[in-house]
Amino acid sequence: MALAAAALLLAGRVQAHDFWIEPSTFHPLPGTAVAVGLRVGQNFVGDPVPRYSASIEQFVIRQGGSEQPISGSDNIDPAGFFRADGQSTAVIAYRSTGSYIELPADKFEDYLRQYGLERIIDLRAGRGERAKPGRERFYRFAKALLTGRQPSAAVAKPLGFTYEIVPEDDPTTRLAPFRGLILYNGKPLADALVMALLRTDSSVQLTARSDKQGAFSFVLPHAGVWLIKSVHMVRAGFFSDADWESLWASLTFEAPETPR
Amino acid sequence: MMRGWFLAAAMLLMPCGADGHEIGTTQVHFTLQHDHTWSATITTGPQALANKLEAETGQPRSNNLNADTLRAEITALATVLANHTDVRFDGVGSPVSVSVAQLELPDDITLPSFVVLRASGPMPEHAQAVTWRYGLVYSTYAVVFADEDGGSPVTQWLDGDAMSRPFPIAANVRPATRFEIVAQYLQLGFLHIVPEGLDHILFVLGIFLLTTKLKPILVQVTAFTIAHSVTLGLTMYGIVSLASRVVEPLIALSVAYVAIENMMTSKLTPWRPAVVFGFGLLHGMGFAGVLTELRLPRAEIIPALISFNVGIELAQLTVIAAAFFTVAFWYRDKWWYRARIAVPASAAIAATGLFWTVQRVFWA
Repeated sequence: MALAAAALLLAGRVQAHDFWIEPSTFHPLPGTAVAVGLRVGQNFVGDPVPRYSASIEQFVIRQGGSEQPISGSDNIDPAGFFRADGQSTAVIAYRSTGSYIELPADKFEDYLRQYGLERIIDLRAGRGERAKPGRERFYRFAKALLTGRQPSAAVAKPLGFTYEIVPEDDPTTRLAPFRGLILYNGKPLADALVMALLRTDSSVQLTARSDKQGAFSFVLPHAGVWLIKSVHMVRAGFFSDADWESLWASLTFEAPETPR
Repeated sequence: MMRGWFLAAAMLLMPCGADGHEIGTTQVHFTLQHDHTWSATITTGPQALANKLEAETGQPRSNNLNADTLRAEITALATVLANHTDVRFDGVGSPVSVSVAQLELPDDITLPSFVVLRASGPMPEHAQAVTWRYGLVYSTYAVVFADEDGGSPVTQWLDGDAMSRPFPIAANVRPATRFEIVAQYLQLGFLHIVPEGLDHILFVLGIFLLTTKLKPILVQVTAFTIAHSVTLGLTMYGIVSLASRVVEPLIALSVAYVAIENMMTSKLTPWRPAVVFGFGLLHGMGFAGVLTELRLPRAEIIPALISFNVGIELAQLTVIAAAFFTVAFWYRDKWWYRARIAVPASAAIAATGLFWTVQRVFWA
């Protein structure tokens, strides 16, 4: 009986997982040490990911008008540490090197559907590849915002990631509609599925599609820690060992109960 | 700190092909014991584990729980944990019980928090192999199988809730002898060419159809053999690597090339052995694919590599011998041998090679 239950529980799992940044605090006081955790998982529940230098393309903190690398030790969770400025909203940025993954055809299509990538299902069908395993190289582009005493205009500036979620203004100042842009190679991307998840309540999952200007918005119903995420997929180059490249953008921040 | 060292050591053992999601902090040590039981220690992140269990049981999601509350919550949901721990002996599930052995939630943010779970269950007396699957993990993690009855520990990397490959139980399984390993890979190498490797067969026939003289055939076969042996070994050890989407079209092109040259000349041109050597390097990478997929234990790589290669040579010689005794032995001295046999056969091979090239570039 227990085994049958296990088989049922194991059967429905999603095969692709989100990636985000979870700092030890989202509102550090000036001068305090902040541990930066990396997470891989789903529904905003994630396994800790230790630091692994070979996988890191960029791991920095932007605060007080300057950018510093986030230091840490390989194979250790939390993946990095820094001392918070705390004066204005800070941006943690993480960009990974590519990793290869191969999924059976049916599981690959399930994940494409879940992440609003039906366009890729159609492309695979057009190429006669629907029965083939999904071979992809995935790249992570994660950001987190840390609340400071003052808002920061830097929050609304793109970091130059290949795929990026950029807030229109600082969402850590007050609980207001979240407006943002989806950028691919620095240009607005239309029709991208964007999702918003609340950490304390897994039943709160909002979805939106970016418009022609790459813009999207959510009315966040509660204060708390939010994860905004989106995935884009493109055909891999001829010399790649994969057929597809997936680009995973995420943004975590805490929307306050009361405006600051 | 011990956990950090374990993870570092496990990463060093990680094979190049351990692809999947990010490597997380979860680790599993699975031990088969003398008293026909098994036990496993699962080390993982406690808050994430609690949240996963809450999601499975429809409870509200907790955050920032203290160590005592976390321990109590995980202990209360031990049966859910057991349901997600799938241990099978020869495909038959084993009952599982799980308890919390240790939980650390340091105040110091620079230190990792972790929970150690202890899972255990009975092992059937004559079981030959065991598999492991743990459903409450999203990242890639290492499971180390150890056998108190003398089997060597084996580390396997699993992506999320994937099932492990079967781990043989030393007490009940007779290890394969060196002779059996050699025979197995000899056969595998032979079958990889005849009948499975039609592109390699056509390449060897292309070599053969150039001329009926022995020396040019020997020169080409030797160049081809040396080249593919080199890249087979280098690829197996991860020293060279080229994506199959590049290798496979080039192998098809090599088939077309030798056949087209056969139609233009019956003499061994000075560049032909060099070209055959170059193409042999590509074929070696193609051969390595089948061995790489088998994920050979390190101790078996050398005998397997040598016997697999010998199997390939025997298959090549079989192809040449079959072609010789079917056609060349009877008609090689006829004036029409080249016009009616060598050129048309080469044309057919060239057309096939070109078709494969286009197919592998655009529809692979």
